[in-house]
Amino acid sequence: MILGSYEVLLEQRTDVRRSSAFIVPIASILGALVIAGVFLWLTGRPALSVYARLVRDGYGSWYSISDTLGQATPLILTGLAAAFAFRMNLYNIGGEGQLYAGAIGASWAGLAIAPHVSGPIAVVVVLLAGMLGGVLWIVIPAIARAFLNTSEIVTTLLFNYVALFLMQYLIFGSSSFWRDPDSKNFPQGKPLPDVAHFPTLHFPRDIAGLDFPSGVTSIHLGFGVAILAIIGTWFLQQRTSFGFDMKVVGSSERAARYAGIPIRRTVIAVLLISGGLAGLAGAGEVGGRAYALDPNGLVLGLGYTGIVVAALSRYNPFAVGLVAVLLAGLRTGADALQGATGPLRVPVAIAFMLEGAILLAALGGEVFRRNRLVVRRIREAPA
Amino acid sequence: MTSGLSLAAAGINANVWVVALAGAISFGVPLVLAALGEILAERSGVLNLGVEGMMLVGAVSAFLVADATHSPWLAILAAVAAAAALAAVHAFLCVTLRANQIVSGLALVIFGGGLARFVGSSVEGQPRGAEIDPLRIPVLADLPVLGRVLFQQDVAVYATVVVTALVALYIVRTRPGLALRAVGESPATADAAGVSVARVRYLHVILGGGLAGAGASYTMLVLVPSWNGSATTDGIGWIALALVVFASWRPWRALAGAVIFGFALRANFTLQAAGITAVPAEILSMLPYLLTIVVLIALAPTAVRRRAGAPSALGAPYVRDER
Repeated sequence: MILGSYEVLLEQRTDVRRSSAFIVPIASILGALVIAGVFLWLTGRPALSVYARLVRDGYGSWYSISDTLGQATPLILTGLAAAFAFRMNLYNIGGEGQLYAGAIGASWAGLAIAPHVSGPIAVVVVLLAGMLGGVLWIVIPAIARAFLNTSEIVTTLLFNYVALFLMQYLIFGSSSFWRDPDSKNFPQGKPLPDVAHFPTLHFPRDIAGLDFPSGVTSIHLGFGVAILAIIGTWFLQQRTSFGFDMKVVGSSERAARYAGIPIRRTVIAVLLISGGLAGLAGAGEVGGRAYALDPNGLVLGLGYTGIVVAALSRYNPFAVGLVAVLLAGLRTGADALQGATGPLRVPVAIAFMLEGAILLAALGGEVFRRNRLVVRRIREAPA
Repeated sequence: MTSGLSLAAAGINANVWVVALAGAISFGVPLVLAALGEILAERSGVLNLGVEGMMLVGAVSAFLVADATHSPWLAILAAVAAAAALAAVHAFLCVTLRANQIVSGLALVIFGGGLARFVGSSVEGQPRGAEIDPLRIPVLADLPVLGRVLFQQDVAVYATVVVTALVALYIVRTRPGLALRAVGESPATADAAGVSVARVRYLHVILGGGLAGAGASYTMLVLVPSWNGSATTDGIGWIALALVVFASWRPWRALAGAVIFGFALRANFTLQAAGITAVPAEILSMLPYLLTIVVLIALAPTAVRRRAGAPSALGAPYVRDER
């Protein structure tokens, strides 16, 4: 690009400095806050006070940290689901639908199987059924991608809408197994029996300085599963031959073919694992939070936020954990803001706007991490 | 299909199907406009997955401006401008900064959806302030069947046909259209011939966003009664993306495909109007999405795609090789 007598170009860096791995995300978040701040200001809200309140309600007390970690649980899993596939250029953006399918499977197991087995087994069955639901929901896009080269991007996405309508049908359909026959006014999911509820972390009241009136937190078994999933995907990627196959197929299918790596099998396996991770998120929402196939769970957008989590963490499993907690705090804070009064009352959609803005800013920032902006005076400058 | 047969056998009013066809054309308008926009962007080599986000921002802009001015024309203009502005962000990230086009498109969907819901949350569910009224073309409107299907539509439907013709002519018969195709097929060649790759890509990505916005304004001013968050467009931006593949990047085929998809989008109303309630509404609502998936899988094999005319440089940023 030429501006006056100067030439501006992006030049690829030969050495990517390590410090930029921290500077770029922080700059991206600041950039996003400025973008969202413009819209807050345009709608007559004090941006700085809104942000201060967002941080306070998201991360400022033990209560909010407990809520944030509870919110982070599904985000870690949908984030891993996206990251695991994205890093080999398989864009599974159907985490939302796979989460619903997982919730459907988990609630089915909780209602149909759990009453007949003992506690720990019931919980394991709910988790497995959730995972299976997510896996089943990605089977068609996975096979079509591996054998027909159908772009998985649009097919996985379209299945989100199918899952949404299926879930509505299962909750609102009058003869549905999932519907609570006792709720006459507003249709609700049938509550899961206690035996299928995930154990929740309790704090003894007398731990120094902790203020938990009830001792109960929002942190449930799903959080532990999410942490295990982080370690598991890292191990799979870095320490197994399957991880090596993934890396080769992801960077060059031709190289993979010469190396005799089964491309189709790798593609399908990666997508199924990705769907299973998102399905686990659905199981956690059912077994650890809603205890039913929850009609209010329809609007959360946890799968879509998982894409943001994955992109911001640059597909690194451990970074997924950190970013998920960060974005979960945004949601906890936004939930609180929605209930606030006066000019600080802000629609909860601000969380989504901020997430999108952070991702846009990070995409721009990533370019400056890998490239250097060069401004050169053109030698034969016009007189 | 059995339902159609039993319907005919029962001799139920054929009117239902006439209305369904007329409705399919109307529901096809936002689809074809968004698809035409995406065809322009993809023909220049830029994949823009952000259609759904641009349409949501366009729809909420149309609602707010219609609310303030009661003018459908200003509402359309606002939708076009807002969606084009969002497309410009995508162009900047993908063309100037050479970011990953897929992730940038997804970011557009998430940001656009969040922004639209944020600014629209105070007016959610309220009736819109302006709409586009249907016309009756004299004489022709009274023709049996055809009159109802083709000649009692609103002015935007006819304008959409004109826009389709213009886009088709532009791509195939004009010099800038030639430059567009060159940039999408072989940017290095176009560059060597003195065409500015960046300028062509910016222009068509932004133009494409404007068309998506125009489509969204039609949804807002004609098809849905009120702004209803992300359910307002309900994924038609994604269906439009599939429509581009279905139409093999050709405008007239996109128009024809839009009517088919429009029919599927209305299947719910049609069967209810026909008195068929055996299939639950939620299941019927899946139909357009399932149809789109089937179409994508059927058209998938690479050989078919190549023959179908996918631009060769689609998705690849252009870096001039300088030494």
